[in-house]
Amino acid sequence: MKVSLTWLNNYVSLKGIEPKTLSEAFTLKSQEVEDLFPLVDADHLTIGKVIDCRSHENASSLSVCDVDTGDATRQIVCGADNVAAGQKVVVALPGSRLAGGMEIEKTEIRGVESNGMICSLNELGIDEKYHYEDGIHVLDPSAPVGTDALEYLAFNDTVLELDLTPNRADLLSMHGVAYETAAIFNRNLSISDPELITAEEKNQVDISTETDGCRSYYGRVLDNVSIGPSPRWMQARLIAAGIRPINNVVDVTNYVMLETGQPLHAFDYDRIGTGEVVVRDAEEGETFITLDDETRTLKRGDVLITNGEKPIAIGGVMGGAQTEVTEGTSSILLESAAFEPRRIRRTSARLELKSESSLRFERGIDPQRTRYALDRAASLIAIYASASVRDGVQYVDNQAKGSKPVDLSLSTLNKVLGSAYKSSEVRETLNRLRFPYEEEDGLFTVHVPSRRQDVNTYQDLIEEIGRLQDYNALPDTLPTTLSTGALSARQKMRRRIRRTLTGLGLDEVMTYVLRDKARVSDLTVSDADPVELSKPLSRDRHALVLTPLQGMLDVAAYNKNRKEDRLHIFELGKRYGLKAEKERLSILMHGPYRHRRWRKTPETDFYTLKGVLEALQESLNLPSFTYERKTLDHYHPHQTALLKVDGELVGHIGKLHPEYASGYGLEDVYVGELDLDVIESLRRTDHAYAPISPYPGVERDIALLVDEETPAQALKETIAASLPKRLKQSHVFDVYTGERIEEGKKSIAIRLTLADPQGTLKSEDIDALISKVIEALTKEHGALQR
Amino acid sequence: MDVKDLNKRIKTLEEQLIQALEEVESQHDLQQVKSRYLGKKAEISQLMRHMKDIPDDDKPAFGKAVNEGKQRFTELIEAKREEIRKAEVERKLRAERIDLTLDAPDFTPGSVHILNQIVEEIEDLFIGMGYRVKEGPEIETDEYNFEKLNIPKDHPARDMQDTLYIDDEHLLRTHTSPVQVRTMLEYGGEKPVKIICPGKVYRRDDDDATHSHQFYQIEGLVVDETTTMSDLKGTLLKVARAMFGEDREIRLRPSYFPFTEPSVEVDVTCANCDGAGCSVCKHSGYIEILGAGMVNNAVLKSSGYDPKRYQGFAFGLGIERIAMLRYGIEDIRHFYVNDLRFNRQFR
Repeated sequence: MKVSLTWLNNYVSLKGIEPKTLSEAFTLKSQEVEDLFPLVDADHLTIGKVIDCRSHENASSLSVCDVDTGDATRQIVCGADNVAAGQKVVVALPGSRLAGGMEIEKTEIRGVESNGMICSLNELGIDEKYHYEDGIHVLDPSAPVGTDALEYLAFNDTVLELDLTPNRADLLSMHGVAYETAAIFNRNLSISDPELITAEEKNQVDISTETDGCRSYYGRVLDNVSIGPSPRWMQARLIAAGIRPINNVVDVTNYVMLETGQPLHAFDYDRIGTGEVVVRDAEEGETFITLDDETRTLKRGDVLITNGEKPIAIGGVMGGAQTEVTEGTSSILLESAAFEPRRIRRTSARLELKSESSLRFERGIDPQRTRYALDRAASLIAIYASASVRDGVQYVDNQAKGSKPVDLSLSTLNKVLGSAYKSSEVRETLNRLRFPYEEEDGLFTVHVPSRRQDVNTYQDLIEEIGRLQDYNALPDTLPTTLSTGALSARQKMRRRIRRTLTGLGLDEVMTYVLRDKARVSDLTVSDADPVELSKPLSRDRHALVLTPLQGMLDVAAYNKNRKEDRLHIFELGKRYGLKAEKERLSILMHGPYRHRRWRKTPETDFYTLKGVLEALQESLNLPSFTYERKTLDHYHPHQTALLKVDGELVGHIGKLHPEYASGYGLEDVYVGELDLDVIESLRRTDHAYAPISPYPGVERDIALLVDEETPAQALKETIAASLPKRLKQSHVFDVYTGERIEEGKKSIAIRLTLADPQGTLKSEDIDALISKVIEALTKEHGALQR
Repeated sequence: MDVKDLNKRIKTLEEQLIQALEEVESQHDLQQVKSRYLGKKAEISQLMRHMKDIPDDDKPAFGKAVNEGKQRFTELIEAKREEIRKAEVERKLRAERIDLTLDAPDFTPGSVHILNQIVEEIEDLFIGMGYRVKEGPEIETDEYNFEKLNIPKDHPARDMQDTLYIDDEHLLRTHTSPVQVRTMLEYGGEKPVKIICPGKVYRRDDDDATHSHQFYQIEGLVVDETTTMSDLKGTLLKVARAMFGEDREIRLRPSYFPFTEPSVEVDVTCANCDGAGCSVCKHSGYIEILGAGMVNNAVLKSSGYDPKRYQGFAFGLGIERIAMLRYGIEDIRHFYVNDLRFNRQFR
């Protein structure tokens, strides 16, 4: 809402209140102020009369004018086509400043002296959307030469632009802003009733409504309307409010809408034809041509104004081309109506016809102002379009108009705010708001006026009192609720994951979860239908990811493009489904890990990522993972595995298929993913303590010849199974294929650490254990001892 | 040979030994010198054979002189041995001399994402004040995201939030407020609520320097019989100071959210100019950081709490905004592009 301060001053005196003070007070007590600006940012503009106008001797497109500016006759060079002798014009004298900071000085234009400038509206800073003019602005012949042009045009105004919250529909009217200003500054308010003189002819429009989409409908007929421009002050106020002046009838309807918040519509009465107005629901598929000459297809739920036969307007949204007020109009039907806000909202949104009217209907209008606005508009059209107003008003009205009683006790007020206000302060605030009330033993029964549709509960009243008193005067206290604060097990686990992985040098990333639908299923172990938006933001922001890896690949590609080759990143994200959102930890590794700089650094390979996962496994106190070879789309067919614990799927690890990685400009990319639900369920939360054995362990190495495909993990499992209670650990320390090894076989050397917790192992015991192990390995894996 | 001759001879041998030792460079050379001067065939060992020719009175002195000579020889050799050992150690250490200024291997820890760092910081602040951290789904229903929060269909407040719908019923949550509703329903309307709810939220916005379709929010909710707006104000002052410095002040301005009444926007004094007005705060001296208010009774009711008995406050703030203000980050997209040169600045 753009508020003309000149206009506001008509209702509530702003004497002694600087615009900046007003703006700050609104910010702190009412609504955020978007802007505070002069309607026209220019000065030293005078009304002049063009006495003579002749062609410039050196430039045919320019004119040289003698302009009487009251104090003198000045020679001014003008470039506008429409300048002519006899015109009254706006003159910027030397020393004046125009919109955009342009300074006017005495100058020479192509060899001819020019003492100022004849201005167009654009040069005053009046945007083209507010006028049709191309060229200088020509004033009325009666404009007084030598006087201040801005004052004459009523452009010497300041505009306060409020950024309204949707609840404050009342502030979409100058009356509402006046009430608010009076309340904030505790000032008198003067809003007068319309003075309407009616003709003898009776108003005989037949008005009826067949829909609950229309709450009330008032109509008046005015005859002998003389269409022309509206007065300058009205045009200036419309421009200040951001509305383009059109003609006196349309301008009055807009002006009164701005004044009261009640949208109005004027029909060419003769073109309605039937002398009847019937408001009804639109029929599905019905079509109608609106003012802008567009054919609109309607739906049930739209409210239609008809002449009993054909539609003449879409209620609350837009009038029809057929009954538009034009220069030839002589009688008009003025409509002041109230429509169901939700219906207007739906219709205007669907037809993309958001207007000043629909905005006000959507947010709710004051039922008490519907009739007021009609009479006010009729009285103004009578004056400014020399119309005669037929006697009487036709209407239907189903709106409740009384005030609503809302109870608020002083103790509740203070209990909610934590304040110590006294009754007198509440009374004073209610008086300022002009809310009538009764008070009994600290209980206020407030009769909220209908202009404040947003105040319905005691909480709303607390807000009114709280904001007008001062929120910032409330004490700073903390809740007295006793409680213990803590993170959940999952939250703690996430933090532990972050600390462990960053400790290992990995960087955490956070990526968009909305992605290209074609790719969101990539890199997952199991397929699922991705969740899609009904209206995608774009092709790239269409569906929810099934793994954070998608976003991480983009991160890797982005950084690789910028010459970063150490890409060790992780993200705690989700696999999104309509039924469930499963948390995932994803890791991506590529490039030298723990770079040794001037010495040789091994590149990240499968085992690097495996080491990171196993460090995490240790850090989270998880059982060991088993690795089950698996073929997955987009993964390397021979370097990919499922991670399991006791047969349960925990996650996966793998190298990306080179062809897939190259699509991102990458190669040798290793990724892993863990399911946080499963991880959390597998965590040992306590520590199992075992005394440290005083008996030293013994190391024995065995070298085996096995099939090349035999996984080390299988050999180790056999070893563990055959040496219960004696094996402390086993690890592979050498793997060899090639010369001296039969094709299809490999040599693998394993170091066993054996111990007896009860005593020192004897040499013969050890030999027996080793033979047992070899026997088992031979039996299960065909292993030969080398 | 008498004792006098003996001493003279030993002296001569000793001088020879000293000279020989001077040329010794290794333990091996030393061993040879040692066997030459102290071995069985060494002259000093042979000198004992002259004992029989010595008068009895002189025998003790003779013996002593030989033994003392041997003793000195041994000391000289051992001293040399130690010298060689030390020299060898020195040589070995010298060979281990390195350029101390060469780069170390890269053991730099990774960075926790800055948004998560701030969330953890806020979580810790509130855990210290007795709050629990609650989370909820990002795919929400219209009911939880809007209707239970006093935003029915066709409500003008829905314009404040452009929503990403999945179908008629499901949507990407536009705020973390549904977690508040879910928690109150979980608590069953009978016990106080004191929670914060961090999480990702989504709006239909075109991404640019100040808009992001995905962003990170944290909300707080306290519901009890005694919770006041002053408690809200005191709590928010703590947040503002924890985030922006202990000398910050806040101010509350009226605002509107369907789920709170009264509703306020909260500004913090600009840290750049200390409230004097500068380009960072658009010359107002204040920077808007969050929205808050007293929980609307309609929300308490739809969440199973009796407004006659309970009242509460709620607030919500954007993590990106906090980070941008705190570090002077100019573009919200940095948080989601993950240029590692950006991420690694926040180790």
